[in-house]
Amino acid sequence: MLHIYDPNTATDRDLGTPPPAVSAGTVSLSIDGKPVQVPEGTSVLRAASLAGIQIPKLCASDNLEAFGSCRLCAVEIEGRRGLPASCTTPVAEGMSVNTQTDRVARLRRNVMELYISDHPLDCLTCSANGDCELQDMAGAVGLREVRYGYEGENHLDAEKDTSNPYFTFDPSKCIVCSRCVRACEEVQGTFALTIDGRGFESTVSAGQDEDFMDSECVSCGACVQACPTATLMENTVIEQGQPEHSVVTTCAYCGVGCSFKAEMKGNELVRMVPFKDGHANHGHSCVKGRFAFGYATHPDRLTAPMIRDHIDEPWREVSWDEALAFAADRIKTIQAKYGRDSVGGITSSRCTNEEAYLVQKLVRTAFGNNNTDTCARVCHSPTGYGLKQTLGESAGTQTFDSVMKSDVIVVIGANPTDAHPVFASQMRQRLRQGAKLIVADPRQIDLMTTPHGGEAIHLPLKPGTNVALINALAHVVVSEGLEDRLFIAQRCDSKEYAAWNTFIKEERNSPEATESITGVPAASVREAARLYATAGNGAIYYGLGVTEHSQGSTMVMGIANLALATGNIGREGVGVNPLRGQNNVQGSCDMGSFPHELPGYQHVSQEAPRKAFEAAWGVTIDSEPGLRIPNMFDAAIDGSFKGLYVQGEDIAQSDPNTQHVERALGSLECLIVQDLFLNETAKFAHVLLPGSSFLEKDGTFTNAERRINRVRKVMPALAGKEDWEITQDLANALGYDMHYEHPEQIMAEIASLTPSFKGVTYQKLDELGSIQWPCNDEHPNGTPIMHEEDFPIGKGRFVVTDYVPTTERANRKFPLLLTTGRILSQYNVGAQTRRTKNQTWHDQDIIELHPHDAEERGINEGDWVGLTSRAGDTVLQAKISTRMQPGVVYTTFHHPVSGANVITTDNSDWATNCPEYKVTAVQCEKVAQPSAWQERHRAQHKKQWGLLKPTEESAS
Amino acid sequence: MSRQIDTLIKMVNQIADNAPRQETPEATAEAVAGHLRKFWAKPMKVQVKAYLEAGGDGLNEVAVEAVRRL
Repeated sequence: MLHIYDPNTATDRDLGTPPPAVSAGTVSLSIDGKPVQVPEGTSVLRAASLAGIQIPKLCASDNLEAFGSCRLCAVEIEGRRGLPASCTTPVAEGMSVNTQTDRVARLRRNVMELYISDHPLDCLTCSANGDCELQDMAGAVGLREVRYGYEGENHLDAEKDTSNPYFTFDPSKCIVCSRCVRACEEVQGTFALTIDGRGFESTVSAGQDEDFMDSECVSCGACVQACPTATLMENTVIEQGQPEHSVVTTCAYCGVGCSFKAEMKGNELVRMVPFKDGHANHGHSCVKGRFAFGYATHPDRLTAPMIRDHIDEPWREVSWDEALAFAADRIKTIQAKYGRDSVGGITSSRCTNEEAYLVQKLVRTAFGNNNTDTCARVCHSPTGYGLKQTLGESAGTQTFDSVMKSDVIVVIGANPTDAHPVFASQMRQRLRQGAKLIVADPRQIDLMTTPHGGEAIHLPLKPGTNVALINALAHVVVSEGLEDRLFIAQRCDSKEYAAWNTFIKEERNSPEATESITGVPAASVREAARLYATAGNGAIYYGLGVTEHSQGSTMVMGIANLALATGNIGREGVGVNPLRGQNNVQGSCDMGSFPHELPGYQHVSQEAPRKAFEAAWGVTIDSEPGLRIPNMFDAAIDGSFKGLYVQGEDIAQSDPNTQHVERALGSLECLIVQDLFLNETAKFAHVLLPGSSFLEKDGTFTNAERRINRVRKVMPALAGKEDWEITQDLANALGYDMHYEHPEQIMAEIASLTPSFKGVTYQKLDELGSIQWPCNDEHPNGTPIMHEEDFPIGKGRFVVTDYVPTTERANRKFPLLLTTGRILSQYNVGAQTRRTKNQTWHDQDIIELHPHDAEERGINEGDWVGLTSRAGDTVLQAKISTRMQPGVVYTTFHHPVSGANVITTDNSDWATNCPEYKVTAVQCEKVAQPSAWQERHRAQHKKQWGLLKPTEESAS
Repeated sequence: MSRQIDTLIKMVNQIADNAPRQETPEATAEAVAGHLRKFWAKPMKVQVKAYLEAGGDGLNEVAVEAVRRL
C-alpha cells in the first residue's frame, strides 16, 4: 500500500547546462578517457555530467543558458589552447577532454581563493550551511589557504534587504555569478534583477536601486532557488535550519498543478521547492505555491468537530462520532420529512480526485439522489458543456509544453501572469522566441508587456460581447478563404459545417458590423484573424472571461468553431486550452461531481454506465439529473431543499448575489461544512467538520492539461482525519457502508468504472511521475495531445453561435460595467492566502476606474467609492487606472468584507447556470462610510467568531 | 407565484433564445427540450410543465413548444 517515492532521481540532478534546443545528430568524444556519446550541441560540462563526471561549477545551472563567468568549470581539451570553460564549449566529434589536470586544479583553486577573499567565513552560523555550492566547491577544489588575505577592500558590510516577507537578500555573501539575474529573465521572464555597476562595484540590484519589495519582483522564488550561496535565502530556512527529508507532492493553488518537493524537518514543513522533474512546471514556481503555505499551520485552523442546533447558538466541540451521528440524524430526519431529494452535496475542487469522487458517491448512494455539484459550476462548467458539444470531450486539448511550438498565442478572457503564473512564464519564453500574441480582453493584461516579447494585438472588447467578437474573427477566416479545407473535409461533420459556413458568412457577423457591438476596430479584428489562421500553429488559451457570461457556453463553442475551421486542433502547438482556476477543478469535474454526470462525463440517463455504477455501489441511481448549486439555492428559498453537505467550498463568498445565497443558506435545517477554517459559509452551518490541508493527505489532483499528479502526505492531519476519511465516516453514519483504507483503493474503483481512467494506478503514477487522461488500453501511458486522429464523437462539430446580448446592460442609473478578476498574490476567496504573508501585497480589494470615469464623479486615488448594482451595494477604495477602457470598472474578490458578490447578479450562462460574474451594470459614487451590507457582515463576522471561541476575544 | 418559478421561466426562455439555432423552429424547440431533459432536475421540469398547463404566461414561443415536448 505504501509507495516510497525518491525525489533524488537522476532527473533532479543539475547537469550544468540545458540540453541543446535542436539537435541534428550524435557526437562521440572522450572525457577523462571515457568514451561519451551525446546529442550535437551539448556542452562539455553537460556531457561530462551525463557520463557521471562532475566538473566543479558555480555560475552554471541546467535551467539557465551557459554564462561562462566563474571559470571554475575550466577544462583542458587536447589540441586546443588555454583552459576553456566547459559550460560554453560545445562538444565536437573526436574531442578529448581532461577535467582533472594540475593546470585546471591550480586555476580552480585560484578562482576559489579570489571568491573567498571577499566572502564572510561564517560557514558554521550561515543559513546555507549544509546546502551551499560555494562551500561544496571549496571542498571540491581542495581550497586550503587564501593567499590574497582578507584585509583588502570587500563587501562584507553590505546591508541586508529584508523587505520581502519570504526571503532575505544578503549581498555580503554574493559572488556575482548572475544566476539570480538570469533566473529572473530566463525562467520567470520578469527582468526585475540586474547587475548594477562594473568590476568591483558590481552588485545584484532589484530594479533601479529599489529594495525587492518595491521593485518589479513578483516573488516567484526563482532567484532564491538559483542562488548557490546564502545571498538569497528563504526566511523559513534562516529561522528553522536545513530540512532533513523531502517528499514530492503537488501544489494546491491554481490549475497549473506544479510539482514541489516539500522539504521537511520531521513533521515540520521548512520550505516548498519546485520539483525539476515536475511535468507541469519544470522546476518553476510562483509566490503562492513556493511561499504561501503558512495557512496550513495557522491558528485559525479548525481542529475539532463542532455542532449546534441553531446558527445563533455557540458551537459545541464534540467527538467525531457525535458530530457525524448528529449530521446523519439530521439528514435522515429531513429526508423523512421533506423527501429524498431535499438534501444534496457539493464536492470541492480543492480536495483530491478521490475525495471529490467519494462525496458524489455519498450523495448518489447514502443520500440517494443526484443533487451533487461542484465549484466548477461558477467557473468552467461552460467549458465542460461547450467542448463536449464540439470536440466530444470536456477538457483542454494540449499539454502546457505544447505552447513552445505555437506560432501565435491567442489569450481570451484570461490573465495568466496573475492567475496561472508558472504557465505564463512559459508563454513568455515562447513570446521571447518570437511567437505572436493576440489578447481579447476588456483590460490590458501584463502578458502584453512581456519584456522582449514583441507587440501584442489587443482586442479591447466591451464586457458581454465575446460571441460577437469570436463570430467576427471566424467571419474573416471564412470570407477571406483562410479556412483549412482539408481538415474540415476530413475531420468535421460536413452538414453542420455547411450550416455554420452559411451562418458565419452573414454580413451581421463581419468585423465592420460587430464593431459597434464589441467596440473593437474592424481592422484589428481582421489583422488578428488573418494572423491566427495563417501563422502556422495557432493556440487559444482562455479563462473565466470566456465562461462567466450569459453566453459562456456559446463562446466556448465559438472558440472551438474557430479552431476547427483553421485546423488548429490535434497536434502540438495548437489547440483549445481552458486555463482552469483551482488546483483540482478539472479533476472534480472528471469525478462525476455534476448532477447530470457520473464519473468520466457519463450521463446519468445512459443505461450501461449507470448500471455499472449501480452494480458496483449496490444502489439504484436516479436516471434524471439532480439540482445544480443555483437550483439548490432557489429550492432552499422555496422550502423544498433543506440539507446540504459542503466539502471545501465557500459558496457564501464565491457565489453571486450574496444576499440571495445568504437567504438560501439561512433556510437550511442542516448545513454540514467540511473546511479548514470558519469560512463565510460555515457561519450558517450546524455541523463543522475540520478538513485537512493538501500536506496532510494522499491522493491525486488533475490540472488544466488533464495531468493527474500525486499528492503525498507529509504531515499528520491536524484534526485527525483526511477529508476522504470524513466523507467515508459520514456515509457509514448514514447507513451506507464504505471501507477504504487508502485513497489508492478509491482510485482503483474510479479506474474500474471510468473508461478514461482505466489504466490509472498509483504505481503507474509513481513510475511515470504523472499521467494525462485518457489513460486506457489504447493510450496506456496517457494522452498528452488530444484529437490527433479523430474525436471521441467521431467528427468535429460546428455549432451555430448567434450573438444574444445579455440582459444585464448599462443604463442611466447603472452606466458602468463592472468586471472581476484575480491578482497574483491572492487565491480566489482568499481563505488560504489571506492567512499568509501574501497579505503584504494585497490586503484589500480595490475598485479600478478609468481616469475619465473617475473625474466625471470627482473620485480621486484612494477615495472610498460606493458601488451599486441592481443586486446590492458595497464600498471599496478607488484606484485610477488606464488598464480599462472608459465605462468599465474592475475589482478582485479575494476579501469577504469587500462584498464583490453582493454586487453581482443572479444572471447566468444559459446552458450551465455558470454565473455572469464578468458583466454587472453599476454606478460608482464617492462615499464616506461602508455599505449597510458591510456593516452587517462585520457584525455577523464578530458574532460568529464569538460563537466559535466564546472564551476568546472575537477576531476582527 | 413563487420565486422559483420566476427563475425557471427566465431560465427556459434564455435557453430558447440561446440554444444553437436549427433549420426549423420545431427542430430548435426539440433541441431546447433535449437540453431540459439532459440538464434539468426532475422537480424543475415538473414545475415548469405544470406552469405551462396552467397557462404558461411569460414563456416565449420556442420555450412553450419545448416545454410541451417534455
